[in-house]
Amino acid sequence: MIDAKRFKDELEELLEQLYESQKDNIEATAQAFKECIEKGGVVHVFGSGHSVGLGIDIKDRIGSLVPIHIMEMSDFVTRGGVPVEEFMDHKVIFERKPGVASKLYDLYDIRPQDIFIVISNSGINGIVIDIADLAKKNGHKVIIITSMKHTLAEQPRHPSGKKLYEFGDIVIDNCGPHGDALIKTDGVAKVCSVSSICNNCIAQAMAARTVELLKEDGYEPPVLNGDKQHDEALKKEYEGRA
Amino acid sequence: MDIMKQYFDLIREKVDDAYAKENDRFSQIAAMFGECMENLGVVQLFGVRHGEEFVNELNYRAGGIAPFHGLKLKDLVLKEMIDQKDIDSGAIYDDLSVADKFEQAYDLDDRDMYCLVSFYGNEPLIIELARRAKAKGQKVVGVVNKRSYDRFGGTLLDYCDAWLDMGADDPDTALEIDGLKIGQLSSTVSNVIAQMLTAEIYQYYVRSGKEAPVLLSANINGADVHNDSLTDPYGRRIR
Repeated sequence: MIDAKRFKDELEELLEQLYESQKDNIEATAQAFKECIEKGGVVHVFGSGHSVGLGIDIKDRIGSLVPIHIMEMSDFVTRGGVPVEEFMDHKVIFERKPGVASKLYDLYDIRPQDIFIVISNSGINGIVIDIADLAKKNGHKVIIITSMKHTLAEQPRHPSGKKLYEFGDIVIDNCGPHGDALIKTDGVAKVCSVSSICNNCIAQAMAARTVELLKEDGYEPPVLNGDKQHDEALKKEYEGRA
Repeated sequence: MDIMKQYFDLIREKVDDAYAKENDRFSQIAAMFGECMENLGVVQLFGVRHGEEFVNELNYRAGGIAPFHGLKLKDLVLKEMIDQKDIDSGAIYDDLSVADKFEQAYDLDDRDMYCLVSFYGNEPLIIELARRAKAKGQKVVGVVNKRSYDRFGGTLLDYCDAWLDMGADDPDTALEIDGLKIGQLSSTVSNVIAQMLTAEIYQYYVRSGKEAPVLLSANINGADVHNDSLTDPYGRRIR
């Protein structure tokens, strides 16, 4: 029977697998983020569709690290000159387009010490791959978060024939199933997706470990604490970048 | 203990708690959603600040049920109906005219119902959305962080037929390193709640002897045809 209990039980098993199999990759990402912060850098987070949730979850709350910048898909329209009709066309899906990512990348103040986290469950679409490629070519460390089961099961859509994980200095597998949905049904589609939950857990664990590593180095972690003066001063430090 | 492990353990604990405390309400709310959908209604979703993560978790999602639709501030920015800076400052959540703008921007229908998400449940805009739905006799479900809702005088639930609790602390920080509080739980737990609701809606369809309109990941070869067949009958109401 498919119900809340079934989902909860299958999810808890998956999260255990996720932690056990990916803790070293999350640790490596936290190390990279720590080094980036200590050099005054920012992490740029890009994910199309639901994947951007990972960035949103660890940003702009009490207890959040400040040097996180979300590269917003909507910036293509509001700042990048892409017509809204083209962006929202449901029949020619924008995120699949290769060759347009530089319109987004070039909008931002990206500095040599910055690193990138690029997230896509399938890892086959044009824009995410182009962003990872641009970041790498510009000498930045690139961390990829993807579902290895999904990406290996699909044909590449990018003209290079490559998939997103091939661009990662560090690759974190979110351990989600092909198609993202967890529970098999009698019909064609499986039900209940897990990537946002897994990605949030990865991001939160990574952010927490980053703060811990900064503390161990005696570096004051740039974290919002709810004190207006403190938080505004901190945001000012990264103004225009995060 | 390893701080990363601590976060994973806390999620498990909070999810177990949410299930133990709210399972009856999951099936009750899933039945409300299911009845609305069977009558060709759409469940309209709106979330304040990080509450939008819950919206995204149900709205046009792989493995999700099709007749959900998100009321997104970003859509209004793209249509140049509101200014991004008012989202960033939070002023938008005090602006009741946004409720009119949603009505102009989307194809909302009297058969629809609402699911409204806010940590505090006290922002004028979300209360206005609930009030308007109620005045039309539409059902409303609220998702709040009950501890914060009580502390900051939320009133959203006055308009709700049913509600769920995110179950987080206030402020929402779950971990501590040398006195520094970090690590949020509310959105991750809310996402799990959203998926538990999805499973229960699926079960509602099974009990009704009907096939549930489950979407495929758009990144599976051939998924577009399947998904369009589920959403096209609704015209502009879902996408």
